[in-house]
Amino acid sequence: MPKRVFKPSETVDFVIVGSGAAGGVIARELSQAGFSVVVLEQGPRLGPGDFEHDELKYSYQSGITNDPAQCPQTFRVDAGEVAKQPALGNSLVYARIVGGSSNHFTANFWRFHENDFHERSLLGAMAGTGFADWPITYQELEPYYTKVEWEVGVSGLADSSPFDPPRTKPYPMPPLPVKSSGVLLERGGRKLGLHPFPAPMAIASQPYRGRPGCGHCGFCIGYGCEFMAKSSTLYTMIPEAEATGRCEIRPHSYVYQVALDKRGRTTGVHYFDLHKRDQFQKAKAVVVSANGAETARLLLNSSNDHFPQGLANSSGLVGKYLMFNQGSGVHAQFEHELNEYKSVQVTRIIHDFYEADPKRGFYGGGGIDARMGGQPLGWALAGGGELPRWGAQYKERLEAFPRSMLAAGHCTSLAMASNNVSIDPTLKDAWGIPAIRVTYKDHPDDLAMATFLQDRCVEIMQAAGAQKTYRAAQRLARGGVHLLGTCRMGNDPATSVVDKYHRTHDVRNLFLCDGSSFVTSGRGQPTMTIQALAFRAADHIGQFARRGEI
Amino acid sequence: MDSSDRPESGNSRRSFLLSSGGWLTGAWIASQWPAIAAAAHHAEAMPADLSPTHFQLLTTTDAADVEAICAQIVPSGATPGAREAHAVYFVDKSLSTYFASMAPDYRLGLTEFQTKFRAVEPVKAFAAVDASSQEAFLKTADRTPFFETTRFLTVLGMFSSPKYGGNYQGSGWKLMGFVDQHAFAPPFGYYDAQYQGFVPYSQEHA
Repeated sequence: MPKRVFKPSETVDFVIVGSGAAGGVIARELSQAGFSVVVLEQGPRLGPGDFEHDELKYSYQSGITNDPAQCPQTFRVDAGEVAKQPALGNSLVYARIVGGSSNHFTANFWRFHENDFHERSLLGAMAGTGFADWPITYQELEPYYTKVEWEVGVSGLADSSPFDPPRTKPYPMPPLPVKSSGVLLERGGRKLGLHPFPAPMAIASQPYRGRPGCGHCGFCIGYGCEFMAKSSTLYTMIPEAEATGRCEIRPHSYVYQVALDKRGRTTGVHYFDLHKRDQFQKAKAVVVSANGAETARLLLNSSNDHFPQGLANSSGLVGKYLMFNQGSGVHAQFEHELNEYKSVQVTRIIHDFYEADPKRGFYGGGGIDARMGGQPLGWALAGGGELPRWGAQYKERLEAFPRSMLAAGHCTSLAMASNNVSIDPTLKDAWGIPAIRVTYKDHPDDLAMATFLQDRCVEIMQAAGAQKTYRAAQRLARGGVHLLGTCRMGNDPATSVVDKYHRTHDVRNLFLCDGSSFVTSGRGQPTMTIQALAFRAADHIGQFARRGEI
Repeated sequence: MDSSDRPESGNSRRSFLLSSGGWLTGAWIASQWPAIAAAAHHAEAMPADLSPTHFQLLTTTDAADVEAICAQIVPSGATPGAREAHAVYFVDKSLSTYFASMAPDYRLGLTEFQTKFRAVEPVKAFAAVDASSQEAFLKTADRTPFFETTRFLTVLGMFSSPKYGGNYQGSGWKLMGFVDQHAFAPPFGYYDAQYQGFVPYSQEHA
């Protein structure tokens, strides 16, 4: 079937900004429900033939991510500093292609646990933070987690973790074959009385819904998948959306402003096309799923007389409560070869430390996974801290590459209004649009939790029989790839940007759904929850539209 | 901290590349990308076995010193090091072509290095003294942009994809035990080959 193409002057039912983890899901759900949908993606559309095993290109030259040469940002630790462009790359990093960051993620797909949704009620307020409950419960989201697992495609083993939240269906595919890093994490973990279990991964472990199973090539995190085994929306939701004949994916379409009419309703979006021509797509309703960095930026750049501090920003919270998830790592060296450069990143995880425990003396919870320490070039370039930079010991470390792994901790970040996305007062991007300014400083509890997990990783690796362990340097976050919290959900328009159905409190036909919706950060691996929220949002948005309530 | 530890002692020209350390030069690579990509296409034109007469930027003396530094970064021994991997030719080649904008600062840094070494050893060049003397001196000079850049280019010269003109005969990846293959099948390593399968936790652990 030829792909449906709309004219910008045609008023489609929905325009969706962003074709990533959330945008792809919402496009498919709404077009399958019978609505006309245009998805505007700022980046190009690539395919399996475009994805290569070239570390230099993808890790050191932006590759498929937002290139600071065209899309610059500034960073500062707090409002007392003048924000500056980082020396290397951007602060907030995402894949800027059709499918978004669902192309290059690790594919760790953890459901939130039940307590994630009401920790504030459980633990009490935390002074100086925006610590709050979600306006939804795990039970409300559970059917949509199931949809992600079965319709996007997640491999795993149900009931293998005593800490897993309740589920209504098993995984549709068995776990990926275990790697040596997973075996060693499991060995060390079990010895210490912990409960390592097969990692749920958004990667096909066997042929699934017309896609092949993983080829174990090893160029996974940070790269697009040339096998189509990684469950990116590029290979799953987007083709299914197009197959309805009601959905157009329009790449090289950089949305820079959401329009608002005198009645306070959005009428569509302004965007630049491939040739930097100014275009306007008309729509009855707008869904913004541009990721936690760009969604906030778009609203702030769409201020007008009605909303001088940013579109849909009567709460003043657009851009605020930016969270990354903190983390830590321990490199470990063993006697025999692991060859971690082969296959996927993660095959075993540990959730024994998932829940917050006030007895620790700080807020936080997290998970531990076993993974590779990097590909050859990254491995060889690393140095400093406990890692040698040159000489005999450095060469020993180079030669230990096949015998090495990384035990990584992933944990919570507390929501603070002082951590935020705002608009830089002077810097503009290659299209003349004001750039993102990031202000971020980890809460001490975030760092304490990351260090706690690092301590556990050392114990686990030693229990597994590691010959040597090296703690990776612990740093204040200056950016990240988990872009969360900047347009949070909530029932109260004074303290949130969108309601529990992702409708902005201020503009009836404007919806936001992506990592910006998060109220708390979770324990890492947000994409699973982003996609569950997207399925749920699309379900309700479709119902509202059918009932004439948009 | 004495003046020899300051990144550009005596050099008022500040290249952000040289001031930011070897592993922070990604931004610089990004800005040079068209030239690097073009050079990759011509990498096959690089002679497989270069001799000193083929140096384009470095004099023979300079090349010997740079080669000695590379050989300290990844020493030779039971397994090949930077010398056997012809890293110095990658340094010279890249500085003559797609990294040409780095070349002036690099020359200045090399001259400073040699001057500083002459203060310690007035007669012999760095390349001519024994390895342990080289190592001892380098420990006092390994925080300069010149050293960082040499390290960076040595690493690229040994471990980046051969299409960029380094990784001589795949020797760099062989040293690291990295197999460049499009796909693999389990078992991947020693420990997973022995794995007996996942044993579920009993109900009482829940």
